Amino acid sequence: MKLAWHVAPLLASAALALPLGACAGEASPRVTVAVAPAPSSSAPGVLLPPEAFAGISDVHARSLALYGEAAKVIASPRCQNCHPADSSPRQREANEMHDPPVARGPEDEGVPGARCTSCHQDTNLELARVPGAPKWHLAPLEMAWLGKSTAAICKQMKDPTRNGGKSLAQIVDHVTHDELVGWGWHPGADRIPAPGTQKDFGRIVAAWVDTGAACPEESR
Amino acid sequence: MRVEVPRRAFLQGLGFVAGGLALGIFSEGRSALAASRDRGHSEIPNPNGTLTAGGLRPNAFVDVAPDGTISIVCKRSEMGQGIRSSLPVLIADELGADMAHVRVLQAPGDEAYGDQNTDGSHSIRGQYDEIRMLGATVREQLVRAAARRWGVAPAECTASGSLVSHPRSKRSAPFAALVAAAATLPLPKPGEVKLRPRSELPHAKAPIPLLDGPDIVTGRAVFGADVKIPRMLTAVMLHPPVVGGKLARFDAQKALAIPGVKTVIEIPAPASAPYGFGSLGGLAVVADNTWAALRGRKALDVTWDHGANATYDSRAFRQLMTASIRAPGTVVRKVGDVESALAGAKTRIEAEYFVPHLAHASMEPPVAIARIDAGSGRCEIWAPVQNPQATRTEVAKALGIGEDRVAVHVTLLGGGFGRKSKPDFCVEAALVARAAGVPVRLQWTREDDVQHDYFHSVAAQRIEAGLDESGKIVAYRTRIAFPPISSTFKAGEVRPPEGELGQGVLDAPLAVPNVQAESCEAPPHVRIGWLRSVHNIHHAFAMASFVDELAHARAKDPKAQWLELIGEPRHVTEAELGVKKVPNYGATLEQYPIDTARLRGVIERVTSLAGWDRRHADPARGYGLAAHRSFLSYIAVVAAVVRTPGGKIKIDEAWMVIDAGILVNPERVRSQLEGAFLFGTSIALYSQITARDGAIEQSNFRDYKLARIADAPRAIHVDLVESDEPSGGVGEPGVPPVAPAIVNAVFALTGTRHRELPLAKAGVV
Amino acid sequence: MIRFRLNGTDQALDVDPEMPLLWVVRDVVGLTGTKYGCGQALCGACTVHVDGEAVRACVTPIRRAENRSVTTIEGLSSDGSHPLQKAWLELEVPQCGFCQAGQIMTAAALLAKNARPSDADIEQSMSGNLCRCGTYNRIRLAVKKAAGT
Repeated sequence: MKLAWHVAPLLASAALALPLGACAGEASPRVTVAVAPAPSSSAPGVLLPPEAFAGISDVHARSLALYGEAAKVIASPRCQNCHPADSSPRQREANEMHDPPVARGPEDEGVPGARCTSCHQDTNLELARVPGAPKWHLAPLEMAWLGKSTAAICKQMKDPTRNGGKSLAQIVDHVTHDELVGWGWHPGADRIPAPGTQKDFGRIVAAWVDTGAACPEESR
Repeated sequence: MRVEVPRRAFLQGLGFVAGGLALGIFSEGRSALAASRDRGHSEIPNPNGTLTAGGLRPNAFVDVAPDGTISIVCKRSEMGQGIRSSLPVLIADELGADMAHVRVLQAPGDEAYGDQNTDGSHSIRGQYDEIRMLGATVREQLVRAAARRWGVAPAECTASGSLVSHPRSKRSAPFAALVAAAATLPLPKPGEVKLRPRSELPHAKAPIPLLDGPDIVTGRAVFGADVKIPRMLTAVMLHPPVVGGKLARFDAQKALAIPGVKTVIEIPAPASAPYGFGSLGGLAVVADNTWAALRGRKALDVTWDHGANATYDSRAFRQLMTASIRAPGTVVRKVGDVESALAGAKTRIEAEYFVPHLAHASMEPPVAIARIDAGSGRCEIWAPVQNPQATRTEVAKALGIGEDRVAVHVTLLGGGFGRKSKPDFCVEAALVARAAGVPVRLQWTREDDVQHDYFHSVAAQRIEAGLDESGKIVAYRTRIAFPPISSTFKAGEVRPPEGELGQGVLDAPLAVPNVQAESCEAPPHVRIGWLRSVHNIHHAFAMASFVDELAHARAKDPKAQWLELIGEPRHVTEAELGVKKVPNYGATLEQYPIDTARLRGVIERVTSLAGWDRRHADPARGYGLAAHRSFLSYIAVVAAVVRTPGGKIKIDEAWMVIDAGILVNPERVRSQLEGAFLFGTSIALYSQITARDGAIEQSNFRDYKLARIADAPRAIHVDLVESDEPSGGVGEPGVPPVAPAIVNAVFALTGTRHRELPLAKAGVV
Repeated sequence: MIRFRLNGTDQALDVDPEMPLLWVVRDVVGLTGTKYGCGQALCGACTVHVDGEAVRACVTPIRRAENRSVTTIEGLSSDGSHPLQKAWLELEVPQCGFCQAGQIMTAAALLAKNARPSDADIEQSMSGNLCRCGTYNRIRLAVKKAAGT
């Protein structure tokens, strides 16, 4: 596989704009996720293995490229939809507001009468289409991704005050093994899974951590 | 247990035709059904009455038992309008019954009760006196019996609180003590029975309690799916995705391998249009329980032959309809010379409006229980139906047996809105029960309901007005295209017939010298049916939006524009309308005139209540006005909308005024109007049915969206006009003006005119 | 064999563990106050309590209720005396009535956790319960009345 990439232009030219058309009118926010100028074979749904980045000799650059690869997962609606920056989870490919309308609640698990687990089970339901995984809930507000840049999310993930008090090793373990995170690759019904596999994603994140967990600069 | 009643005799003088059908007269009411189950009685809801012999029954609707129990039959179906609370009270009050002695029995489908179709908002309208006469006749019998016993003149006796009294001699007797004697007296002759003055009816002074309320809030109320009979299995259908489609092949092996699945039955698809009230055909999966049936359905391997309607595409059809209303259609209303007037107009204002197909989506999906007696071939149906007589007819036809061998028992309806006056699901249940050889509950899923409904017509309408030099409106032309309801019953119907334009086009008062309405082509590709307030929905949306557009184009207050267009107080004639005949919901114009004073009256009143003239003082709110006459009642609505912090539209407050003539149960009229506002809100904001490759694209509440609690305005102020005019309809008339009032309010707030529903398509909500 | 408590009575049923609680309650046990409206947790007509929390019975596999306590509308009170049931009647909330068991069960879960809910609290908790008849305004009032606010 011939890899054609450049680390330097981690810039807007490669930006992936995610329209948030369905948010209840909040001044049309657009998420700009700066993606690593991916190796050319990186088709949608594909997550490259860490080995694909071995050719980048500069460790920092390699780390940035690995993060760029991981960001493909972070940008997936399967992940973003449960990392909102407001009270409502999103759904579907265009981050539509959750319907029926639901609220985050004080513990990110919904409100009385309409808790996440009032509807979501520990597994996807085939006939009812309702997605499910153990401990279905929203990511806490400080871990919000929706509306934030990849660079901002990167810094946030490394910040123990905004990542649930996790060390980088714990982050790797979390993304590699957590069952709710893992749902993103087995979303059921006609939902598009996050790229690659949870295992692949874990390896990319681990490699990113191993290379110093570099975060891209804000693109402007 | 059946009680045979010599019905023909009882019905004499009441104008009802006895059907001569060998069915029991009385059917236990739902509360009684629930009570029977609570007592641990038979699992079979006993559909037929437990009337003791020897009662007084001068007609098919009232029985006074020797113990004083008064059974009153509700012949209409209860679907939220409170008819089981209102109708019996109307009879009981006229009779003089103490409501504590009254039980309400739900009528099975039987022509003995006259028209039972609970549709068209006509359970009270047109029949207010007739219904009371049922109670008055029984009262007259009891009074005569008492008078004879006491040797006094009947006219000196009164009846109230289940007692007949003779005030002068201070004598009284309970009804129970008079039953035996009264039953031997000849029926009073027509003209001998007098109705009480309305002011003396107890319900005119005190609220009518909600009969089924206690059962509803405790879960004991019996809706369609709640009926249980021994050996009953559950079935679900897999219908052809496209109307008129057929099974090309199927393999049921995997379905039959699901534990609990008993059999898979093919129900033939109709050979060709029209589809009427028959089954759409397909496969029925019959199982021990609903879960097994649903899993079985999922496991079916089916190939369909989609048929001719597979070409139906909502986007392409929209263009076809638009082309249709831009060309002349069949003239159905004509006053003056609209063509010349438009040609000579100084200014022309024109607009095109669009309303999509809508689904009924009652909270209770269609369901029916069918049992066929193997020996006699008799069929019994328990179902939430608006029209038990049509159900009986259709089931009998499908089974190839006489109607006298079909009994239809009516449960409570978990919403109807017109869907449940089409008994196709009952026909299906009967066919499946016969093929399966066991009683069956046929449960439509929400997906079946949304995708295989009798949809409200998709409709396009173009309105053009011409103004003269002085700005006066001199011409008004409207062209309407929608696939007509008539197409469901007659093949080849491709444009609205005049009967279907009576709802807001032929009958709209317009004080304009040149008026023309034209019916334009729009061939059907799905089953079209009536939905709460029917074509008034799109006609009122177009006209009430256009009135608002005219007002803004002419820099007039919309209220003034309404009053100008309606014109002076008068009774509008067919000649003035420029039509051969106004359908007028089956009533004559003498009984129920088109009274512009009443239409003006509700507009004046609603604008006064809403503070319309002060509306500009609050620039954060946009106000919209709409008015409409339908089902012989007059309604005006004001909606006020605001922007949310996120820039979307939210309905903040609403005012509704109805003039529906004499009202029996004002509290339920209010609740109907509150509900109509939310029904109209769903139409305005969210709901649409679309088709691609002939199949409906929506499937459940995820994509066929309805208003939720957050969409309800902070308050809906309902005001009822006190009137001695004959009763008009109540269940439906509230809906049509709601959507245009909202859209006009959005315009007032944002300056953006929306001519297409639902507003969600434009990102407004 | 799945064991659970239903309205205070022990149940031991030999059913498919994936069968939704709705169909277990309705088809197997025979309690019909809990309604089927959508089968996809979109309308709330099937709302019941599992260990006091509101769940949509149409999407809750019965295995999830194993060894837990399920309350349906029939078990909310023995005689219709729950403050919500009384408020519902006083304000004559129901029209057709089909959704109301679910509305009441959701509201009951709300009041159990939040005795004095604000309008916003009510809206948030009740947003999953559809009413096609449009009784929402009365539902809001009845919840507040039951809460004594």
